[in-house]
Amino acid sequence: MKNDTVLELHHIRKTFPGVVALDDVRFELRRGEVHILLGENGAGKSTLVKILSGAYQKTAGQIILDRQEIDIKSPRHAQELGIAIIYQEFNLVPQLSAGENIFLGQEQIHASGLINQREIIASAQGILDDLGVEIEARKAVSELGVAQQQMVEVAKALSLDARILIMDEPTSALTEQEITELFNTIRRLKQKGVSIIYISHRLEELFEIGDRVTVLRDGKYIDTCNIADVSKSELISMMVNRELKEHFPKLRAARGEEVLRVNGLGINGVLHDIAFSLHRGEVLGIAGLLGSGRTELASSLFGVSRIDSGEIYVKGKRQRIKSPRRAINLGIGLLTEDRKSQGLIMILSTKDNICLPSVERFSRIGFVDTREEIQAATQYVGDLHIKTPSLQQQVMFLSGGNQQKVVISKWLCCQADILIFDEPTRGIDVGSKVEIYHLMNRLTAEGAAIIMISSELPEILGMSDRIMVMNQGRIAGEFSAGEATQEQILHYALEGAA
Amino acid sequence: MTPKDFLLHYGRQFGTLIGLLGLVIVLWILTPYFLTISNLLNVAQQTSINAIIAVGMTFVIITAGIDLSVGSIVAFSGVVLASALQAAIPLPIAILIGLVVGAFCGLVNGVLITYGRLPPFISTLGMMSVARGAALLYTGGRPISGFSSGFRYLATGEILYIPVPVIIMVLVYVVAHVVLTRTKLGRYAYAIGGNEEAAVLSGVSVKFYKAMVYGLSGMLSGLAAIILTARLNSAQPIAGMMYELDAIAATVIGGTSLMGGEGRIIGTLIGALIMGVLRNGLNLLGVSSFVQQTVIGSVIIIAVLMDMALKKQRK
Amino acid sequence: MKKCRYIIPFLVGALALTITTCGRGDKPEADGFTIALVMKTLNNPFFIDMQKGAEDAGSKLGINLIVQAAEREVDVEKQMQIVENLIQRKVDAICVTPSGSKEIVPAIVKANRAGIPILVVDTRVDAATLEEAGGRIATFIGSDNVEGGKIAAEYLVKRLDGEGKVAILEGIPGHETGDARLSGFHHVVDQLPGIDIVASQTANWERDQGFNVFQNILQSHPGVQALFTCSDLMALGAIEAIAAAGRTGDLIVVGFDALPEAREAILQGTMAGSVAQHPSEMGRIAVENAYRLLNGENVPEEVPVTIELITRQNAGSDSTPSVSR
Repeated sequence: MKNDTVLELHHIRKTFPGVVALDDVRFELRRGEVHILLGENGAGKSTLVKILSGAYQKTAGQIILDRQEIDIKSPRHAQELGIAIIYQEFNLVPQLSAGENIFLGQEQIHASGLINQREIIASAQGILDDLGVEIEARKAVSELGVAQQQMVEVAKALSLDARILIMDEPTSALTEQEITELFNTIRRLKQKGVSIIYISHRLEELFEIGDRVTVLRDGKYIDTCNIADVSKSELISMMVNRELKEHFPKLRAARGEEVLRVNGLGINGVLHDIAFSLHRGEVLGIAGLLGSGRTELASSLFGVSRIDSGEIYVKGKRQRIKSPRRAINLGIGLLTEDRKSQGLIMILSTKDNICLPSVERFSRIGFVDTREEIQAATQYVGDLHIKTPSLQQQVMFLSGGNQQKVVISKWLCCQADILIFDEPTRGIDVGSKVEIYHLMNRLTAEGAAIIMISSELPEILGMSDRIMVMNQGRIAGEFSAGEATQEQILHYALEGAA
Repeated sequence: MTPKDFLLHYGRQFGTLIGLLGLVIVLWILTPYFLTISNLLNVAQQTSINAIIAVGMTFVIITAGIDLSVGSIVAFSGVVLASALQAAIPLPIAILIGLVVGAFCGLVNGVLITYGRLPPFISTLGMMSVARGAALLYTGGRPISGFSSGFRYLATGEILYIPVPVIIMVLVYVVAHVVLTRTKLGRYAYAIGGNEEAAVLSGVSVKFYKAMVYGLSGMLSGLAAIILTARLNSAQPIAGMMYELDAIAATVIGGTSLMGGEGRIIGTLIGALIMGVLRNGLNLLGVSSFVQQTVIGSVIIIAVLMDMALKKQRK
Repeated sequence: MKKCRYIIPFLVGALALTITTCGRGDKPEADGFTIALVMKTLNNPFFIDMQKGAEDAGSKLGINLIVQAAEREVDVEKQMQIVENLIQRKVDAICVTPSGSKEIVPAIVKANRAGIPILVVDTRVDAATLEEAGGRIATFIGSDNVEGGKIAAEYLVKRLDGEGKVAILEGIPGHETGDARLSGFHHVVDQLPGIDIVASQTANWERDQGFNVFQNILQSHPGVQALFTCSDLMALGAIEAIAAAGRTGDLIVVGFDALPEAREAILQGTMAGSVAQHPSEMGRIAVENAYRLLNGENVPEEVPVTIELITRQNAGSDSTPSVSR
């Protein structure tokens, strides 16, 4: 029925010095469809998107928009052509209101020469209401949640009459409920005839929202098919070119002594009466919506947030963990949710990042033993198969999966045996994910204890020995592996304890 | 290090060095007075004060901070040192006093920035005025002059034909290079400047090390004050005005990023030498001070532009 | 592509080269002597006048004149660097207006060692420091700021009939010129019991600060009868403050430098007097004496350049403009 093609790409080629990023790629977008762009990291998705958004120029090939061949010269040109992109990191000014952000750069000017504030807020509110989201246009963006900020981005694109909307990992920072809302909005946009190019690693949601899917691998076009005609494992094999035998290669390790016990832990207004214990050799999965207190729990165990009540016992002794330094000395390591802003120092080298928490250990009277450092870093780079041209390579040039492995090496290097992994596989490709799971298996086999916080239910179910569900700062439910189902966990996460 | 690692590490500094060599060649062609041993030693000596202050500035800028108070600290340490010398306090102790006064002012900056949570710009801007005022108050606005030849040896002496300030400068750079590459302080300075939050979460005592870095900058200003006072045989409360800008310029020309986390000590030395050679060369050529300012300003801008171009290229 | 990164530094050098060659293009190397004039700064009309006097004399005598100055007047270290660099440049003689009377001494000693005669202009070198360091200067050319301060004080006292409340606006603290003028002024008035100095504050050589500071003084000491300022710029600010208070003509205001604007104010009666120096004369004499010296002639140890009290009687006659440093 909907067979009117909006955008066609033929034989797109893009080369960088020494690298062919895209080679003979084709793509077709129809009016009012959600077209999934799928591929591992490095498959060429972002390059393709950047060509469409005008950030890069294609080396060769044709772009046909509305049956006319065009060149997309700049981001501004893309905007004029009605192509808008919603990035993973939002480009909003936090201090300004939602409305002001939506019309940033296209303010209506009053006859007096001043900006017509009321008009801006009113039209912005119109767009937001039209999207079916409950956001007050006059509210400052800094007061909005992640999902709402994303909606502001979408509204901004619509205010520019975008007909093609590119969404890059739109759900990566959203909770299940927010994802549902986002999908409702996307459906509304489809009805309005907006076409959406949708990039995501989460296979589950593709089946829910996508109409068609195009798979890229190593910069090459693999195939385009209707979502309805394809299975998950078929897609995965198209992406990785090797059948993933099992999604979650969980191995159970022997459960050892207790290394961490928390009693009645609380932070006023954030966490209430948290109690659990953690043993060597086990993975304790913590599920819950964003804002359920998962991350705060991690930061209080790591000495970042001050606790107001309760006790923490580490390896049998009661401890007050006042600083990350203290936590590290006790053998605790924290892999943060956001590796770019909290986990890594992007402009420093792989070696320096791996060794940072261990510098104390490598130093004598203030002098760092560089040879020891290099030795340790070399060992972890080899051990964890970190792909880097050199130990001196700045981590910003590594792929997401390799960056995550650098963070893990950091904690292994300082001999942490209580590891808190907050969203360990966020934003990394399928292959790297599996590698991280294997690594977790190895660590527990070697006697480490892992707390894994994750928004991805399959991951929680697939990799945990025990599962704890949090809701509004409390533990809402606890399960042992095999006992829980996605529905149960979601139920506790949404509704709290019965 | 493999050659490739070396290039990753020092590529930018290598570029600056070529800039310096280019400048030297140009001046060599333009004036017969430039490339003589006595003039090169002269340039090294003239560069030493700025170069020493710039070491502290490099540490500070690597932590993504800034220190605007160095010039005023030079003046204040200088007059305190001078009055100690005139009170017939033994030379080594007087020198120590000069260093301690500088370090103290720097530490106050550090504490205000870390525990007081002031932005470095504000804290050191305040200290710039406070230390200047303190120097004027302390002396009643008058210079203190006339010191023993033993003290003046620090500026006028030569060891194997090499002026003592040049030797002090070289020592400072060797030590600073080791500190920056081989000690906890150096390692953490990069980490703090690269990503302060990640550094905290890696167990770095950010506040302590930040305060130390400002203390170090103050102490090196104190050292510069010692050489300056010996050189002029006088400590002036109005000495060291705008030294902060020269130090920042040397640091930035040397490839240290104002965003923090990046920079090499050797680059700063080259940066300071570029400024010293430019000034010297323009003097030799008889170029007016107006043109000199314009040239030095242009070099700073070009150095930073070049830095940005390089970064873009790598990405 | 990669090579590009190493080309950019060359561009830096190339730019420096272009600018340097432009800068010196207009000065062909003369056959005669090369004489340097090192001043405190070039951002001050006083020194621009001095430069002009020197250049006129230089071109008349066929001298290759190099004029250099620090960016900022108080930067003694940079002035020392300039002198050091000129020694490397092997100039025949150096005329210098010291930024610091003691701080210049090490540079003089270096010039002595290189056998380059030093002629000191405008600001004296501290005699004791010079002697202690074993340095020598060929001659001093200039007028005495202390003397000027005395002249100003005597005139002011005469106008007050030896009795009254006096306020002072000082220059930048620690600044040679201002200090000398001030000490000359104090030298006279401190001996007179009838003169009461009610306020003495700095206005940092600036006109707007002269206005603000003196407005404050008028608030706290309404009975003040006379004002001495270490420069005319500050005086010109102060007379605005007096006008704003509706007291024009009430106060006796004596400045320094005899700026054209100040001369006008004196003619109008809003200022009582000022002290004139003659920088272009200093520049001329410095270069001429350097020339004589290099030709083996003798020059006097000291060449005074006249200081003149400017009052209503002579304000219109001499138009040599000069400003304080």
